Amino acid sequence: MRIVSLTPATTEILFALGAGDRLVGRDQYSHWPDAAERVPDLGPGLRPNVEAVLAARPDLVLLYASEDNRGAAQRLRQAGIVTAAYKVDRIQQFDSLTRQLGRLVGDSARGARVADTVKHTLDSVRALTRDAARVSVVMPTWDRPLIVIGGGSFMSELVDIAGGRNVYDTSRTPSPTVTFEDVVRRNPDAVLVGPERAAIVRTSAAWRGLGAVRRGRVLVLDTALTLRPAVRLGEGAVSLARLLHPELFR
Amino acid sequence: MTPLRWSLLCLALVAAALLALAVGTIGYTPVESWRALMGRGDATAIFVVRELRLPRMVLAVLLGVGLGISGAALQGVMRNPLAEPYLLGVSGGAAVGAVLAVIAGLSFAVVPLAAFAGAIAAVIVALSVARATRGRGDPRVLVMAGVVVGAFANAAILILMANADASKVRGAVWWMMGSVADASWTQTAWLAAYVLTGAVVLVAQGRVIDALALGEDSAAGLGVDVDRTMRRVYLTASLVAAATVAAAGLVGFVGLVVPHIARRLGAGSHRSVLIASAVSGALLTVAADLVARVALPPAELPLGAITALVGVPFFLLTLRRLT
Repeated sequence: MRIVSLTPATTEILFALGAGDRLVGRDQYSHWPDAAERVPDLGPGLRPNVEAVLAARPDLVLLYASEDNRGAAQRLRQAGIVTAAYKVDRIQQFDSLTRQLGRLVGDSARGARVADTVKHTLDSVRALTRDAARVSVVMPTWDRPLIVIGGGSFMSELVDIAGGRNVYDTSRTPSPTVTFEDVVRRNPDAVLVGPERAAIVRTSAAWRGLGAVRRGRVLVLDTALTLRPAVRLGEGAVSLARLLHPELFR
Repeated sequence: MTPLRWSLLCLALVAAALLALAVGTIGYTPVESWRALMGRGDATAIFVVRELRLPRMVLAVLLGVGLGISGAALQGVMRNPLAEPYLLGVSGGAAVGAVLAVIAGLSFAVVPLAAFAGAIAAVIVALSVARATRGRGDPRVLVMAGVVVGAFANAAILILMANADASKVRGAVWWMMGSVADASWTQTAWLAAYVLTGAVVLVAQGRVIDALALGEDSAAGLGVDVDRTMRRVYLTASLVAAATVAAAGLVGFVGLVVPHIARRLGAGSHRSVLIASAVSGALLTVAADLVARVALPPAELPLGAITALVGVPFFLLTLRRLT
């Protein structure tokens, strides 16, 4: 079976399922694991170049589920190629996607094993932090406009598992745009950011208006683990728990 | 325009169209592409040439014909070298319609309809403002009304996008950049109906536009119903432009620049300006789409930006020679 994977999450999962060698094409952002770099880059995963995908002569094309990809999916099906579209915003979606991909590549046992391993790790982190006091956090991902992680994102779930609480967990979208004043009003205990934003948050006058920043509670995420809901979700939960509750790991 | 120039122009369009079928991400040889076009050879090649490249090329041709001819007609009837569907608010109205549909999360099949409705709404507003001010379709008032409607549309788009979800903003921006990448035969057939009907109506008005170019009073002296002619040309040209926007998003610059190129090539009467604009418009969009596809593979560049990149140097050259 020749597979083209046009989302980083499916690329990652296929490698975890041992089906990496069946990949004949990937999108430009599928960089993990390292072996993925050796799969031909077919360009954007949103509005992909259908001709480039066809040139790889795939039997199966995995797309990101979005209006943007409707046209491409339709054309690929017209050309007689099986397509499947996925969107992974929540942890549950990762679980079912992994099992489904396992069935698609003819190894449901391995699909179940990968999904169960992640689930097991998440369960043990949840058990570890069960009695710890919740640390409320805000997770900014963009400055102008100010965009934060909302309740619709797996990151919110991951924070919850790791003994925290996203102050924007009531927002149903994965990445709502908010005002700075509203962040101050919600008064989180800590700011959770990727390494590239940490310096901005620590030094900007606006962010220093937040009590958490003045107290030095700017926690730096390992974004390689928590970038997307995929095989490293379990590791991501562990590293988050270490950040939020270092006392539990002594 | 000399017969030689006509044949060269048409030949250039045919060459560009054939090149558009032969060149792409997959490097088929010209022979392979030709065989695939004829329905022979490898099944993937046949699909790529006949279902991906061909409808795309045809859509680009229709897009260029529609934008070129409506620009030429509007410039003629308004006696304004800047008049074109985009300046007159048609595109702005269409963009509001499309952005609304994208942000409301409607299916991608509805977006062109919403764009079309928005364009028509903008045309109706501009026309009724112009008519109210002087009781007739004054071209200057019509241009101003169009510009203001366009500005209003821009403001509306910014407000809609400021609070929209990132993925929807991406869809809306993509649409505003213009593209023929999603060309399908249904879409192409619809656009063909609008563009070809509009082209016939406009070319038939060529002599009357010639008379109008002498000034409204002289035209009236020649027995031309100035108001009716202007309204008819304006509405037809806007309808054609609205259909192109609905099919391919905002592809700017073609309507503005192409009539000037046509005149530069020696087209004198409006009938020949209109036809030459249609052919050069098609040439510009087909060439621009070719650049958009092959410049940075496997990614694609926005068609609307390429038409400007290719068209601006031409236009500047034309301006320099005129002065």
